[in-house]
Amino acid sequence: MGYAAARGGLDAILAAEELMRAKRDGGASPPLEIGQLTERLNLAVDRVMGEAGLWAPDLAARALRQAEGDIIEAAHLLRAYRSTRPRLAAGLVTHADEIEILRRIVPAYRVPPGPQLLGRTLDYVGRLLDDGTPSGPAHRPATVGGNGQASHAQHRAAADTDGHGHSHGQGGDPGHPSAASSDGQAGKAAQQSPGRLLDLLRGQGMIRDRRRDDDPEPHDVTREPVRPGVPRSARLSVMARAETGALVNLWYRNVLGPDGYIHEITLGEVRHGRLPVRVTHPVTGQPVRLGSVRVTEVEAIEDLDGPDEDRGVFDVGYGLCLGHNERKAIAMANLDIAVERDGGQGALEQSVLMTTDGLDASGFLEHLKLPHYVTFRSMVDRKAAIRAAAERPAPDQPAAQHQAAAVSQ
Amino acid sequence: MAEPAPGWALRVTGLSKQFGRVTGCQDVGFEVAPGEALGIIGESGSGKTTVLRCIAGDVEPEAGTALLRRGPDVVNLFALDGPERRALRVSTIAIVYQDPAQGLNLRISAGGNIAEPLIAAGWRNFGRIRARARELLARVDVPLDRMDDLVGTFSGGMRQRVQLAKAVANNPALLLLDEPTTGLDAAIAAGVLDLIRDLLEETRVTALVVSHDMTVISMLSSRAVVLRGGRMVEAGLTDQLLEDPQDAYSQQLVAAARGTL
Amino acid sequence: MTVAELAASAGTGEFGHLDEQSKREIRNALLTAVAVPGYQVPFASREMPVARGWGSGGLQVTLAVIGPQDTIKVIDQGDDAGVNAANLRRLIVASTGVSDTTDARAASIIQTRHRVPEDPLGPGQILVLQVPVPEPLRGVERDMRELRRMHAEADYSRIWVSLYEDLVRNGVITQSTGYPVLVGGRYVMATTPIPRWDVPRLHQAGFLSLFGAGREKRVFAVPPHTSVEPLAFEDVPFQVERTEGASCLLCGAVEAYLVEVPARHGWICSDADWCWRRREAADG
Repeated sequence: MGYAAARGGLDAILAAEELMRAKRDGGASPPLEIGQLTERLNLAVDRVMGEAGLWAPDLAARALRQAEGDIIEAAHLLRAYRSTRPRLAAGLVTHADEIEILRRIVPAYRVPPGPQLLGRTLDYVGRLLDDGTPSGPAHRPATVGGNGQASHAQHRAAADTDGHGHSHGQGGDPGHPSAASSDGQAGKAAQQSPGRLLDLLRGQGMIRDRRRDDDPEPHDVTREPVRPGVPRSARLSVMARAETGALVNLWYRNVLGPDGYIHEITLGEVRHGRLPVRVTHPVTGQPVRLGSVRVTEVEAIEDLDGPDEDRGVFDVGYGLCLGHNERKAIAMANLDIAVERDGGQGALEQSVLMTTDGLDASGFLEHLKLPHYVTFRSMVDRKAAIRAAAERPAPDQPAAQHQAAAVSQ
Repeated sequence: MAEPAPGWALRVTGLSKQFGRVTGCQDVGFEVAPGEALGIIGESGSGKTTVLRCIAGDVEPEAGTALLRRGPDVVNLFALDGPERRALRVSTIAIVYQDPAQGLNLRISAGGNIAEPLIAAGWRNFGRIRARARELLARVDVPLDRMDDLVGTFSGGMRQRVQLAKAVANNPALLLLDEPTTGLDAAIAAGVLDLIRDLLEETRVTALVVSHDMTVISMLSSRAVVLRGGRMVEAGLTDQLLEDPQDAYSQQLVAAARGTL
Repeated sequence: MTVAELAASAGTGEFGHLDEQSKREIRNALLTAVAVPGYQVPFASREMPVARGWGSGGLQVTLAVIGPQDTIKVIDQGDDAGVNAANLRRLIVASTGVSDTTDARAASIIQTRHRVPEDPLGPGQILVLQVPVPEPLRGVERDMRELRRMHAEADYSRIWVSLYEDLVRNGVITQSTGYPVLVGGRYVMATTPIPRWDVPRLHQAGFLSLFGAGREKRVFAVPPHTSVEPLAFEDVPFQVERTEGASCLLCGAVEAYLVEVPARHGWICSDADWCWRRREAADG
C-alpha cells in the first residue's frame, strides 16, 4: 500500500472499537447474560426480532447486548447476520388459526365466540414507578379497586416461571376477561385457538370480502424490493418488519396531522401466541415442524362510510408481527385498512411501503455524519457562480463565467 | 399544386362514455374541417366537457372512434394506448382548460410553462426557447417583464393567456378549448375572447370550442352542435342555430342567451 | 443430512460475505443494468455490516463481482484513508483475502464514494460507485409510479424545465453534484454525488462503471464506450468546479479536483493517492 497515510483511517477505527468494547464490557457491574435479556427484557428482545424480521431470541439478545440496548442497531446486527445465511427452505403456509393462545381479547364484543383471556398485559396496571426492590413472589403491587381476582392473577403471572405468563379461562363471569388462577404450567395452560370474530361476521355477511385469487404466493420483500403497486402481502410484510414508532406515528398522523382521513376502528381480535413453523423435509418430502414463533396478531374492524363504499358492511385490516408487540400490530392493522381504503393509489401507500423501515431511515439519516467535503466544495462553487451571475445584466444571456468554463473533452 | 383539402380533419363517430350510472355522453358524432372551429354547446351536465376530455385523451370512452388527420396519416385517437396518447399531446393535440391552473404549473414562470411543450418537442437551445416564449407571450399580450414571474402570481385572465400561448407553442393540428372564458370577469373575458378569435384565424388550426355561452360559440365557431343529457340534439351553422333553432332545447338556450347577445 | 451440510452445499458466505445465491441474484441485476445503460434495476438489497446510506449497495456490488485474483481499492471523497473507506476495505479484504492497493492504476476494482479517481482507468477495471439517491428526477416528482412512467416513456421534459427555471432565476445552472446525465441517448441517470468535474470522465470511458444504491435497492451501470451527456442546453455549456488561481498546496496540481483547506488558505487534491504519487515522482 503506497499512500503513506492510508493506514490512518484503520487505526482510528480500531481505537474507536476498543473504546466501545471497554465501555460496554467495563464497569463494576457483572456482565450481561443472555438469559437476563430474554427473561427480564424480553419485550426489547421481541422488538428487536420484530424489526429485524427474524425469529431468533438468543441471537437477538446477543445483538441487543452488543448494541448496548440500541434496538435499531441490534436489528441491524440480526439482519446483517441473516444476509450471510443461505436460504435452505421456504416455510409452508401456516393458518393463523393454528395459534396457541397466550392472550386474546375482543374489544368489539362483550361475549365473543371463545374466551377472552386477559393474559399477560400491562394495560390495566397503574403506571407507578416501583420502588426499585426486585420483583418476586413476595412483591405485591398495590390494587387500586377493580376485580380482586384479576390482580391476584397478575401476581401469579408475575411469578410464572416460564417467563411468558398466561392465565386461562376457567369459570368466572363470561362477560369479563378471565384471569382465574393459573396453574403455572406452561404447556397445560396454552389454549386452542378460539373461533375468530372475523369468521362470525363473515358468516353473517357483514364483512366486505377482500380475499382474492391473484396473490397466491406472498410477495417476498427480501427477494424483490417493494414499490407502489405491490400486492397486499408485500405491504403487510413491510409493516411486519417496520420500526414500531414509524407505524404508530404514521397512524397518529391521521388523528392530528394536517391531512388524512378519520377511521372508525374497533378491534376485533388482539392475540398473542405461538404459531408452528413447518417446511418440506428435503429428503422425505414430508412436512416437518421446525418449531414455533411467537407472534402478535390484530384484526381491526373498520366502519365503512365513504360515498363509494358499501355502507352495509364492515371492512377489516390485519396486522401480524413477531414477538409480543401489540402497539405495532394494532398500528399495522389500522394502516392496512387505511391504505386499502385510500385506493392503494395514494400517498399513504408510498409512505407505508417506502418510509417505515427503521434500518433504511436511520442509516440514511446518520449517513450525514460521513465526510461530505467533495459535495460541499461543489456547492460553494455554485454560490460563487450565482453571485457572479447576479452582477450580470439580462437573465437571457446565461452567465459565461469569469471562471473559465471547462467543457467536456 | 396543393391537393384539395380533404373533407375533414377530425371525424368523431359513436362516442359514448358512462360514469357509473351517469351518462357522460352517448353516441356523439361530428366532423370538423381543416382550419375550422366547431362549437359544442350545452349546459353543465350536457356531456360537452366529457366529449372534449375523451378527444384530449384525459378520459377513455367506452365506444366510438375519433379519426384525426395528420398530414398523410389518419390516426384513431381512441385506439391509442397511454404513451401514444401522451406523445400526441406534445405536438399534435393541445387543450386549453377552463381552469388555467389545470393546464399550467403555477410554481414555474410563464416562460417556463411555454418552454415545457417546446422542450417536449425536442428544443434544446436556451436562447431560442426564450425567444419563442417571448414571441408567444407578446402574441397573447402578456407583458414581457412578467415572463420570468411565477404563473401563480398572475391574475385569472393573464393565466388564461399564458395557457393559450402554451397551447399553440408547437403549432398543434388540433386545439381543444374547454369553456375558455368561463370564470373570468366579463371585461377580461371579452379581451381573451378576441385573442382566441384572432389566434384561430391566424393559425388556421382545427379547433373544438366547448361552452355553455352562446356569445363564445358565436364568436369563435362557424358550425356547432348542441348537446343535452349526453346526446346531440341539433347541429348546423352557428349563425343558423342562433337565428332559427329547431330543437326545443336549442330554442331555450338561444332564448336565454338573447339577453346577452 | 444435517442442516449444516445443507447450508454448506448452498454456499455460506465464506468468500465475499454473502451466500452464493445472493451474489448470483445481484450479478443478474448487474447484467440487466449493463444491458440497459442508465436504467435503475431493482434488486433484493441485503442488509450489510455497514448501515444503509453508508455504502451497503456499493459493498454488495463489489462482493458480487470480486474474485480471488482481483485487487481492491476503496476511497471516500477520493481518500483511501477516510474511516469509512478503511472500514469497507477491511471488510472486503477480510471476507475475500484479495490484495488491496491505494494505486488506482493497479486496482481491478475501485469502490468509491463520490469521486472518480484522477488516473484514467481502462479496460479490465471496474469502478463501483456508492449511491445515496439513485433517482435523478426526484427534484421534480415524488410519486414513484409517475417516476417509473417518466423513465419508461423517456418523458424528461420536466427536468429540463427545471434547468430552464434554474437558469432564469440564477443566471447559471445551480446543480452542484449528482448532475443528471443522458446515458446512451436513452435514460436520464443520476451521477451519484460525484462532482461535475468527474462527469465528463464517464463519457465514452474505457472502464465499466457500476452504481449500487443499497437503501433504495437499485443498481445501474454505464458500460465502456457509452455516451454520458450532462443535460445541458446547446448554448449553455456544462460547467465544472473551478476556482481561479487554485492549486494543490502539496503537489501543485491545477487540473484536478481540489478541496479547500480554510485553515491554510489553500487547496489540496481530493485524490490523496494521486497527489502523493505526484509528490513522490517530483522528489525522486
